[in-house]
Amino acid sequence: MERFNLLKKDHLIGFLRKLAKEYRIIAPVKNRHGDTLFTPVTDLDNDEIDLTNQPQNSIKSFLFPQTEVIATYQSSTPDDYTFTEPEPSFPPTIFFGVRPCDLSAILYMDVIFLKGKKDPFFLDKRRNSLLIGLNCTAPFANCFCNATNSGPFLEFGFDLQFTDLGDRFMVETGRSSGERLIEDRPQFFTPSTEKDSQARYQSFLEARGGFHRPVHLDQTLKKLAKGEVDESVWSFLSERCQDCGGCAYVCPTCTCFTISDQPLSPTNGERLRSWDACTFSGFTRMAGGHNPVHRATGAIRQRFLHKLLYDVKQHGRTSCVGCGRCVGICFGGTDIVRFINMSCQGELYGT
Amino acid sequence: MNHKLEFVDVLAESHEYRPATDLKSFEYSHAAEITNVYPMTEHEHLYQLRIVDPEARSRFTFRPGQFVMLEVPGIGEAPFSISSSPSRHGDLDLCIRHVGTLTNFLARVGRGTRVGISGPFGTSFPVEKMYGQNILLIAGGLGIVPLRSPIMTVLENRSRYRKVDIIYGARSPAELLYTYEYEMWRKFDINLNIIVDHPDETWTGPSGLITTILDQRIATASEGFSGRTFAIVCGPPVMFKFVCQRLIDAGIPMQRIFVSLERRMHCGRGKCCRCNIGSTYTCLEGPVFDYWTVMNLKEAI
Repeated sequence: MERFNLLKKDHLIGFLRKLAKEYRIIAPVKNRHGDTLFTPVTDLDNDEIDLTNQPQNSIKSFLFPQTEVIATYQSSTPDDYTFTEPEPSFPPTIFFGVRPCDLSAILYMDVIFLKGKKDPFFLDKRRNSLLIGLNCTAPFANCFCNATNSGPFLEFGFDLQFTDLGDRFMVETGRSSGERLIEDRPQFFTPSTEKDSQARYQSFLEARGGFHRPVHLDQTLKKLAKGEVDESVWSFLSERCQDCGGCAYVCPTCTCFTISDQPLSPTNGERLRSWDACTFSGFTRMAGGHNPVHRATGAIRQRFLHKLLYDVKQHGRTSCVGCGRCVGICFGGTDIVRFINMSCQGELYGT
Repeated sequence: MNHKLEFVDVLAESHEYRPATDLKSFEYSHAAEITNVYPMTEHEHLYQLRIVDPEARSRFTFRPGQFVMLEVPGIGEAPFSISSSPSRHGDLDLCIRHVGTLTNFLARVGRGTRVGISGPFGTSFPVEKMYGQNILLIAGGLGIVPLRSPIMTVLENRSRYRKVDIIYGARSPAELLYTYEYEMWRKFDINLNIIVDHPDETWTGPSGLITTILDQRIATASEGFSGRTFAIVCGPPVMFKFVCQRLIDAGIPMQRIFVSLERRMHCGRGKCCRCNIGSTYTCLEGPVFDYWTVMNLKEAI
């Protein structure tokens, strides 16, 4: 039987404190407004690390910031200029308490940014990051990672993975970099027993049965692959899309961006890369005014097809990881679960 | 569904691994100078650019139909079709219409301005495959711009091609581009037909839609457009459907009709998703497509 390590919950802060000597720790922290957000932990004694609620943001914004300087330029004379790339400034970081959906999302971003032409800005951050996952023992209200095959427990991709077993965590190691975190700090860990593995499996079964939303993604995927999704679904949902971009901003796998120049003075400025969203009406509109995407019928087509059809073709899996954040944020009710349900039913409901 | 979904674990075991080449894969732009600005119409100027570094200039190679990104620091960056011959390497012609932030800025600059050029990007017209064949180039409005590079290539290698036709439609005579070159094109045994939608009092040529003149050309083709003809089409979206359908009806296979599509592009490296037609990145797999591929892309035209 495979052996894992155990970490008593009482020892968690001590373990993190040791890690904090070498790494910046980013974990879900409940702020004074009661919101749980991934935040750099500055004070382990007073920051409330919250492992019971779903963080409202994903860790995308740390590896792929909402706005990022990709170059600065200086011009000495009006007709001459030089570009300077920013110095890499991402400290060694441990992301702690990353849920399987968000962790899968990072693996997807690896594919997007590091396959083919490597993105140097992402690469710099990614290789200074270690991921400590936290398996979900109680799925949240909008979650459907069981349908997207990215949870509730993960099998690979993490450096370390924690499973809550009541008074202790079972700790699995994924990569050698994660193993080193344990080897260098053995005083916190005890080996697990057969009983612990059974408890972990039991909690996996409970988690798998604990999803609140039935989402028949596989049926939708089949329909999309065969082109059987009714066209009226797109126009019905597009009509209700309010063009706010909220879904793309909370989505852990939305990686579209735009590049713009920001002059700081007549002689220097910055080139910025910032998040963009395919649901914005200006996203594809060209200089002459022509927009190849018909807003009335296709405002959100690209978003769902990209996640559920194109990425399955190109990368072998959906880029929806089932975190459910867009379900919570969309006030037009045109989130991905709504789409999946509508496409399964084959006819419009609520009209 | 029993799909075992698998991520590619790109960074497996590589946290300590820091190859310098990773960061070098980012492409840098060439410094270029605007050597000449030639106003062709009220809204379109022809810019002649030269990559400043002589070595980089001669190393810069592209194929007809490809595009470059032109950047002006503080203003922005945008994709433009190259409209000069590949044999001129880093001495580029770009024809630019003034419609946006960057292009309106360019409208105000003169000779000597420094800009950045990166690229070339995208696919190209297979001009070598067209050796020994008839070529039919059809352009509507600004669509003549990406076609000028293959036109120049054909002119430079005139003996390698059989009949060459250019059919060019514009809204009005005032909007015709490259007017100073028509004489040369004709002298090089190119059958140039120009048609305008709205003729003015000086216009002596035909007026109407581009399909009118295409129909006439198809009707008068002595040997028809069978397997020995390639077509290159570029124009506004509405033009493709009508023109290409006529070409298909005239017997040109879809795989021999090439079109150049316009999309908004920001990164040119297949990352930012803006130019997607379905799952196809126009910046990587386009802008030049054969019509067969286009017909299989939803919302392409």
